[in-house]
Amino acid sequence: MWKRLLLIRGAELLMFTVLAAVPLGVHNPYVLGLLTLLAIYGILLIGLDVTVGYLGQVNLAQAAFLGLGAYTAGLCVTRLGWGMPLATLAAIAVGTLLGGLLALPALRLEGPQFALATLSFTALTVTALNELEWLTGGAQGLSLARPPLLQHALTAREFYWLCMGLLALTWVAMRNLLASQWGRAFEALRDSPIATDAMGVGTYRHKVAGFALGSALGGLAGALYAFNFQYLQPQTFVYELTVILLLGVVLGGRKSLWGAFVGASLVALLPNLLSNRTLFEIISGLGFLLALFAGIRGLVRRTIPPFQAIAPILGTGVLVAGGLLVTNTEDWRKAIFALMLFSVVVGLPEGLMGFASKFLSRLFRIPDAPLPAPSPLEEVLPAIQVKSGSPLLEVRDLKRYFGGVKAIDGVSMTVPVGQIHGLIGPNGSGKSTLVNVVSGLYTPTAGEMSLRGQPLPVGSLFNTARAGVARTFQNLQLFTGLSALENIMVALRDVYRRSRSLPLVLLGLGRVEEKRAQADALALLEFVGLGQAARTPAKDLTYGAQRFLEIARAVARRPDVLILDEPAAGLSHPDMLRQMEIIRRVHQRGVTIVLIEHHMDVVSGLCDVVTVLDGGKLIAEGTPVEVKRHPKVIEAYLGEVEAGPALDPATAAPAPG
Amino acid sequence: MSIIAQMAVSGALMGLVYALIAYGFQLTYATSKSINFGQGELVMVSAFFTLTLITLGLPYWLVVPGGLLFGAALGLFVERAGVRLALEQKSEGWILLTIILGLFLFSVAENVWGRDDRPFPTPISHEPIRVLGVDVTPVELSVAIGVFAIMGVIEVFKRQTLLGKAFEAVSADRDAGELMGISATHTVMLSYALSGVVAAVAGILVSPITTVGPTMASALVLKAFSVAVVAGLESGFGVVAVGMFLGALESIASYYLGSGWREVPGLLLLILALAVRPTGVFGKAIIRKV
Repeated sequence: MWKRLLLIRGAELLMFTVLAAVPLGVHNPYVLGLLTLLAIYGILLIGLDVTVGYLGQVNLAQAAFLGLGAYTAGLCVTRLGWGMPLATLAAIAVGTLLGGLLALPALRLEGPQFALATLSFTALTVTALNELEWLTGGAQGLSLARPPLLQHALTAREFYWLCMGLLALTWVAMRNLLASQWGRAFEALRDSPIATDAMGVGTYRHKVAGFALGSALGGLAGALYAFNFQYLQPQTFVYELTVILLLGVVLGGRKSLWGAFVGASLVALLPNLLSNRTLFEIISGLGFLLALFAGIRGLVRRTIPPFQAIAPILGTGVLVAGGLLVTNTEDWRKAIFALMLFSVVVGLPEGLMGFASKFLSRLFRIPDAPLPAPSPLEEVLPAIQVKSGSPLLEVRDLKRYFGGVKAIDGVSMTVPVGQIHGLIGPNGSGKSTLVNVVSGLYTPTAGEMSLRGQPLPVGSLFNTARAGVARTFQNLQLFTGLSALENIMVALRDVYRRSRSLPLVLLGLGRVEEKRAQADALALLEFVGLGQAARTPAKDLTYGAQRFLEIARAVARRPDVLILDEPAAGLSHPDMLRQMEIIRRVHQRGVTIVLIEHHMDVVSGLCDVVTVLDGGKLIAEGTPVEVKRHPKVIEAYLGEVEAGPALDPATAAPAPG
Repeated sequence: MSIIAQMAVSGALMGLVYALIAYGFQLTYATSKSINFGQGELVMVSAFFTLTLITLGLPYWLVVPGGLLFGAALGLFVERAGVRLALEQKSEGWILLTIILGLFLFSVAENVWGRDDRPFPTPISHEPIRVLGVDVTPVELSVAIGVFAIMGVIEVFKRQTLLGKAFEAVSADRDAGELMGISATHTVMLSYALSGVVAAVAGILVSPITTVGPTMASALVLKAFSVAVVAGLESGFGVVAVGMFLGALESIASYYLGSGWREVPGLLLLILALAVRPTGVFGKAIIRKV
């Protein structure tokens, strides 16, 4: 524990101490300028890393937020005569607001469309800054004098300390955020947005909040940028800067505060790198040797695809050769960026810090922080005495059409409290569609759904999950990058109170709830027999364990109704028996269950009542035994036959679907 | 009134160039769900290369195919260097890599051909002719003819030839196509080559009107992005309609608000369209499956 604190916090403390002490020894104003820029870019890149690293989206708008923050602060000072604190707050507010406004439409998109939307925003911003001459001075630029802070005119050295202090604050706040439910939600929604919604966490609101936070940091960096240079021009904040900022984040290493810091140093130093010929030759030469060494090693050991080995060698090779041929490296600035970035993106996809942290973790084995003792199960999942009989989940005349396909066509069904209700039918009979409509993934074409007599939300996984319906997925939707424990922690209900408020989390006040969350999640892991696998990443669990974990995660919602979509699909026989035992135990705690399954022995062994669907319509309902003998059911599974001995439908439809 | 009509017509003809570049995005998006973020640089570098062929004194019937072949080669280069690995790893690394390749090509163009805009000679006349009360130059008309011709040829190719059918098959379902013995990798290469040809055509068509220079890349590609997103990445008819509309809109805006604002309607339209219909006006709604 102490070793862990010492190594991680110690390294951070050491770095900030050294950085703060530099101006005491070094009096060169040029060095001080560079370090100030480093602090500003550090804040900017930590903000960019929220979208690029944690949300996994290519964000091309960060330069625009830097510009908007800078101009806001600049105009507050020149036009309104505001002091430094107020102008900075205004810049942060503009970043947050515009970031939120852009994110609302843009984050409904994924991948390329999101990148395009942010790129357009950057172009729009530069146009506006250029054309609103009456306000911004247009291409002429905007000059301002750095206002005093609390009646005290800051010297360059004091301003540097201010920037460094703000970087340290940003760093700590960000670390608090990432160690909280928010950080987990960011990771979760990248792995499976659908499951994040289905666990009641809310993909969209987390994305929008994350983007707005990143933009707010852009605004803060912008204000400092304005106070530092005291002269602003729209042309500074164009597309090229955006690409350089991306270079910083990717080169430094995504999803890492240290990575953002390393990236920022690089961005701040780049212009020097290009103007100093020897430095450029040394760096490009080192890069080439590194690529050559790593590439040949990778090729010989066959650990990486050939392209990934050869392309960085070619990229850095062109860089070295070009450096010898070209007289003025300044002119080839963009090509040099491009070659460096290309080599890193292909060769070191995890960036310098991603690479270094792998190496360092091998050097210093840092033990994990110990887990708390599990909470009593009664606290996490209180056993409810249910009076069975009263209807809990009701579906009336539900329809869902896809174009001309009537996937479900007028199904009515009632699930009473405390029941395990089976849902079976041949492939394409509409079981999955029914579940997807009830759980909110699809909007029904017509019909009504209610839970305890209250209408269920329509067409929103998130709202339905909040109303008390939890579900698992036919093809697993685990948060593969998170550990088994964290998978459950994401879904826990009623544990996070403070952690819901972003400002409290940034201040580190959400931390107390983390222990409780860990204890609760551990109790649920033990409930499904995975207590030993708490630290294992979900993607490394066995297939059976992944199925159990998905149930534990859904149970963490403490749902009124738990929908299990083929929980035994693909399981080995021993695992299947274990799975049945888990389902029985969940049921004993008073959870009503809807079970979709193909394995007839699972259905017969667990269900009180079974509903059979075929062609989107309900064809039979009754106890498992009754249903098995029902002529329509036999016909649905085997085609039209003369009345004969009852057949087991499971043997007729072995494939999941 | 006639001023507005005049502005709308010449703007719409320009808009066809945006539509053509956006069509290039659609070609690669269909086969690989990826687009080249450096497409503007492909347009610009192909135009510069063609200009070099002209200044070398080659006849036009050789210059144009040369430019198109060069465009195809660039498209293949982008696919190999920037897209293939990311697609194999099912990551979105291609977004960054195509941006990077675009930046590289931009810098090369800046240093090889210079930073200034240069005129692009053409055998077609710049003298306006009067059609239905609106002045149009034959050069502008050649844009329309060229755009429809190349799009028509590619659509016929996709529908009528075996290779084209393979293209459509992989677009519809990559895995099923592979199972039928069609190489998805080759199809993606083909789509990038076609996209490069389309970019070169766009460059050759637009350069006589706008002149050639490194900055044409970002100016054109931004609008093409708007067109592609507003229209959706599926409908060829959609990009033509949206492209012409956007071209007309921006030409009218620059007349009334000043030329600095000409890009604003397009960008606003883009952000609005995203808010209202994220899959594009002509795009299909996505059904999420679990």
